[in-house]
Amino acid sequence: MRLLLVEDNVALADELLADLTRQGYAVDWLADGRDALVQGATEPYDLIVLDLGLPGMPGLDVLRQWRGDGLATPVLVLTARGSWAERIEGLKAGADDYLSKPFHPEELALRIQALLRRAHGLANQNELKAAGLVLDEARQCVRRGDEEVVLTAGEFRLLRYFMLHSGQILSKTQLNEHLYDGESERDSNVIEVHVNHLRRKLGREVIETRRGQGYRYAGDAEQGR
Amino acid sequence: MKSIQSRLGLGLAATLLLVMLALLQGSLWLFDSGLRRYHESNLQDEAETLLTALVRGEGGVQLDERRLHPAYQRAYSGRYFRIDFADDIWRSRSLWDSELPRPAGKGLAPALAEGVAGQRLLVFRGDYRRFGQQLSISVAQDYTPVLSSLARIRWLGLGLGAGSLLLVLLLQWLTVRRALAPLERVRRQIAELQAGRLSALDSRVPRELEPLVGEVNHLLRHTEDTLRRSRHALGNLGHALKTPLAVLVSLANREELRAHPALRATLVELLTQIDQRLARELGRARLAGEALPGAHFDCAAELPALCATLRQIHPHVDIDWQAPAGLRLPWDREDLLEALGNLLDNACKWADSTVKVSAGEEAEGYWLCVEDDGPGIVLAQREAVVDRGNRLDEQVAGHGLGLAIVRDIVQACGGKLSLEDSAELGGLCARMRLPRRGRN
Repeated sequence: MRLLLVEDNVALADELLADLTRQGYAVDWLADGRDALVQGATEPYDLIVLDLGLPGMPGLDVLRQWRGDGLATPVLVLTARGSWAERIEGLKAGADDYLSKPFHPEELALRIQALLRRAHGLANQNELKAAGLVLDEARQCVRRGDEEVVLTAGEFRLLRYFMLHSGQILSKTQLNEHLYDGESERDSNVIEVHVNHLRRKLGREVIETRRGQGYRYAGDAEQGR
Repeated sequence: MKSIQSRLGLGLAATLLLVMLALLQGSLWLFDSGLRRYHESNLQDEAETLLTALVRGEGGVQLDERRLHPAYQRAYSGRYFRIDFADDIWRSRSLWDSELPRPAGKGLAPALAEGVAGQRLLVFRGDYRRFGQQLSISVAQDYTPVLSSLARIRWLGLGLGAGSLLLVLLLQWLTVRRALAPLERVRRQIAELQAGRLSALDSRVPRELEPLVGEVNHLLRHTEDTLRRSRHALGNLGHALKTPLAVLVSLANREELRAHPALRATLVELLTQIDQRLARELGRARLAGEALPGAHFDCAAELPALCATLRQIHPHVDIDWQAPAGLRLPWDREDLLEALGNLLDNACKWADSTVKVSAGEEAEGYWLCVEDDGPGIVLAQREAVVDRGNRLDEQVAGHGLGLAIVRDIVQACGGKLSLEDSAELGGLCARMRLPRRGRN
C-alpha cells in the first residue's frame, strides 16, 4: 500500500512516517500544497493523508482540485480545525474521513485500514478478510481458521495488497508501484521471493501465477467463499 | 415611548383646537361690537327724531305722536324710550308697566339692560337742550334677536370647526403615515433581521435615514468580520497548539516510553487534559451566541450535510433528520452545527442502529432534538451529566466534553439543554430549547 502524507510540521511528519512505515505502508512525504497537488494526481497512491494548514496552497483547495480533476484516491483529512462546520466543509470538498489533531497513532492506523477496506469494496468489516484468510493488521499475522501464521514485514505488505485486490490480476509493475515508495530501489525479484515465501507458509494455491500477466490472489479455496 | 404618529396627531389636534376656538370667539366678538356700533348710530338717530318730535303746544312742551315710530305705541314691542326733564319723566307707551332705567352716562350703555319677557336692551342716552330746558333722551332696542343669531353662528362655527379638524387630522395621519413609511419599513426589516430572514438592511432609504441604516449595516458587517477574524485566529491558534500536541501524543506511544508505563500514563493523562481544555476553551471562544442579529441556520440546507458527515464517521448507524420545510433558526450556523454535531456524535456512539435529529418551532421559540435508540441515561444521573459535563463511560471517548460544549453553546444562545426519554426511539433524547430573538 502506497500512501502520500502531506503535512508541513516536520516533527509530526517524522513521527507519522515512522509509524506508517512500521505498519507496512510505503509512504511519500510532502510539505507543500502545490507539490502535493501535482504528485497526488500523478503517482498511483492508494490513500492520501492530507493536512489542511499547508504552505503554498490550502489543503482544502488541493483536495477540491483533485476531486475536480476526477482523482478518486481516498483522502483522510488530518487537521487541527476540528469544528463540525469545518468537518462538513472538508466532506463537501471531497474528504473520505476527517481526523482532528491531536489523535492517537492507533486511531490513525485504524482509520487508514478502514478507509482502505472501504475503498476496495470491503466495507462493514473490522478486519481484512478475503477468500478464507483473515489478516490481523495490528499484529501483522494471518489467520486461517484457528491456525495463525506469522509474517515478515515484506510478506505482510504483499499479502495485504493481494487481499485488498482479491481475485484481480496484478502485474509486477503494479505491485512494485504500490508496495514501495518513490525513493526505494525497485526490484521485481523481491516480489517473486515474497510470493514464494507466502506460498510456502499458506499453500501453493493461495497465489496463482498468470504467465505474462502477473499474479492473482485466490485465497484458501477450501475455507473461502 | 409613544409613537411619532400619535405624538404628531395629538400636537396638531391641540394646536388646531386652540386656534379654532380663539378665531371663532374673536370673530364673534368683532361681529358683536360692529353690530352694536351700527345700532348705536341708529339709536342716536332715533333719539334725535324724538328730540325733533318735541313741540311746543297749548299745555307747554309735548310730544308729536305722529312723528313717532308706531312700535313705541305697541306694548313690549322691543323699542322703548324715556325722556327725562328736570322735573318730569316721559316714557314710551310700549314700556307699559315696566321701567327703563336711565343709563349713567351719555352714549351707548356698555352693558345690556334687563327688559321684560326676557328681553335684553341696548340703551342709548343723549343729553340735549330744547326750549330752554335741559333734557336727556334714552332710547332702547331689544338685542335678543341679534344675540340668538350670534349663538346660532357660534354653534355653526363649532360644528364646521370640528368637522374641518377631523378632516385635517385624517389628512395629517395619511401624510405622516406616508412620510414615516420608510421608518416602518426599517422597523420591519430589523424584525426580519432578528428573526434571521435578512442579513442586512435595505440601503435605499430617504436621506434622513441613510446614516442610521448605513451605521446599522456597517455594525453588522463589522461584527461579522470581527467574528470571522477571531474564529480564524482561534483556528490558527488551535492549529499551532494542536499539531505539537499531536507530536507529543505520538511520542508518548513510542517504544522507548512503553518501557516506563507510569511515566507514559502520566504523560498521556496530562496531554489528554491539555487537549480537552484546549478544545473546550477554543470552542467557547468561537461562539457567536447572540452577537449576530442577521445570523441564521437553514435546517434544510445544513442538516443533510451534517447527517452525511456523521454517517461517514459512524457507518453502522442509520441517521435521519426531520424539520418543517423552510425552517430557519435565528442563530449562528457554526454554533448550531457544533452543538448538533456533538449531540449527534454522542448519540451515534450510544445508539444501537438509529439516530434522529429534528427541529421545530413552538410558541416560546425553537427546539432542536437529537434522539437515539441506545440504553439512555438513568433519570437520576441526567442532571449530573448536563451540569458538570462529566463522563459516564470512559470507554466512549469525549461524551462528557461534547455535552459540556453543547451546554456552553446553548447558554450563549440563552437557551436550555435537557435530557429526556425518547418517545419514538426509546433511548435518550437531548433537547435544546432556544428562545425567540428581538422581542423585547
